[in-house]
Amino acid sequence: MTTPEINLLFHQPISDHAFNADRSLLAVTRENNVELFTRSGKGFTLKDELKGHDKTVTSVDISPVTGRIVTCSQDRNALVWEPTSDGAWKPTLVLLRLNRAATFVRWSPDASKFAVGSGARAIAICYFEEENDWWVSKHIKKPLRSTVLSVAWHPNSVLLAAGSTDAHARVFSSFIKGVDNKPAPTAWGERIPFNTVCGEFINNSGGWVHAVDFSPSGDTLAFAAHDSSVTLVYPSAPEQPPRAVITVTTPMLPFVTLAWLNENELVAGGHDCQPVVFQGDVSGWKMAYSVDDPSKKGEVGEGERSALNMFKQMDLKGKDAAADDSTLRTVHQNTIVTIRPYEGQPGNITKFSSTGVDGRIVIFPKIPRRA
Amino acid sequence: MSPTLTANYRLIDIDALDADAQFPPELLNPPCPPVGISEIQGLAGQCRQLLQRGDQEGALKVALENVPYGGDEAGKDLHLQTILEILSSIRSSEMANTLSRLSSLPNGTELLDVLTKYIYKGMKDASSGAGSGGKMSVLLSWHEKVVDIAGEGSIVRCMTDRRTV
Repeated sequence: MTTPEINLLFHQPISDHAFNADRSLLAVTRENNVELFTRSGKGFTLKDELKGHDKTVTSVDISPVTGRIVTCSQDRNALVWEPTSDGAWKPTLVLLRLNRAATFVRWSPDASKFAVGSGARAIAICYFEEENDWWVSKHIKKPLRSTVLSVAWHPNSVLLAAGSTDAHARVFSSFIKGVDNKPAPTAWGERIPFNTVCGEFINNSGGWVHAVDFSPSGDTLAFAAHDSSVTLVYPSAPEQPPRAVITVTTPMLPFVTLAWLNENELVAGGHDCQPVVFQGDVSGWKMAYSVDDPSKKGEVGEGERSALNMFKQMDLKGKDAAADDSTLRTVHQNTIVTIRPYEGQPGNITKFSSTGVDGRIVIFPKIPRRA
Repeated sequence: MSPTLTANYRLIDIDALDADAQFPPELLNPPCPPVGISEIQGLAGQCRQLLQRGDQEGALKVALENVPYGGDEAGKDLHLQTILEILSSIRSSEMANTLSRLSSLPNGTELLDVLTKYIYKGMKDASSGAGSGGKMSVLLSWHEKVVDIAGEGSIVRCMTDRRTV
């Protein structure tokens, strides 16, 4: 299949979405709640609502290992939701001890911890303490100078990347004694106690860092900043300057989310409402193509137009709506906020899902869409 | 009512009380080496020579490659005048060609980003004072051509970049 699957869930912005391991369950944020959808044919059916936060929910993640859902919100709390035997979801409050909104949450790949970015210049690393039957949080603070907008886990579940509004992308160790096994040494660091800074990167124009992600092997870090650029960092050895730091500046509006497809390709989306694929290796990267190029399309978003609508427009305005500029020629009608891998194995992603301010969820194949 | 109740508590800068909340500007912006006024004057002279020889494009390239980020206000203004002089010496029919040749250089995007910065700085200057209409229209047509080639990204970079011209 080469056409994207487009579903309008509701007319409200979606700040984050997550699928479970077999892609049968979709969680999206909607105001103070998280809505759970199941697949039904080509669409999604609302199945459940997770109500527990009393301010806007900023991020949601489902662990593919345990199936637990974690949410975080501007009310400064995180909730872990576990399925009960009767099909309901039971929330557990996690005290993050933050004094500002929580902005972003992700489970570690092994599901033993999760990391919450926040406006309090801190990242809360949360793990479960068996003896107290309680989620505990430990803060990474230094040298964060401003709000953390995104976090991403290394495949070893110890290293954590964070992008911040102080224009830096950083790599930290989140090693917690008793929870983590000692990780194998990587190019980022060997002996890494909690809160070790394994790397700190900035690009030339120094915009806010909106999104960070490790490549599938964990050996490359990508970050997207508010100067419309994507920067790739290839580390060499612990405590050494990186082998290569490649910044691709683009003519587009800034990207706010990115996801790796394989070691040499990543997809980024943002204020231009279209996912764009970047390709390259340690010797250089370039912006390759747009998956949803508006300039190559004749017709305005299918599904948006019906014969009835057309005649209505002609009746009201004396012209066809297609001549109107109010509909974007891209699938997404507003900023793309989240892109996540959808189909394929890490290192060979063939489809990815995206949500944004327009309330749509779109599942794109990674190949470009034809006119 | 006591003064603490009347004070708009939302306007209190609570970060000022937090020792960890320091945000030094040099964090975002590694300090640029200082550039003396004589260096900038030399550069202006070099550009003027190129202009006299009819090599407008060469002059523009030299001016955009040697940006005095570390200069003082007077030096920066002088460099702005140099660039404005070059810009107004290029005919409008040549603008697009000049820009596309510049952008195809290895550091092309960087050069156009710098040009965007100077166009906006020039607009700030041209927005006041007598005889500003002509200057403004030159800058506006340059702006249109730069955005055609370098895209909206160059405007965004001009806004985020702390290395001011």
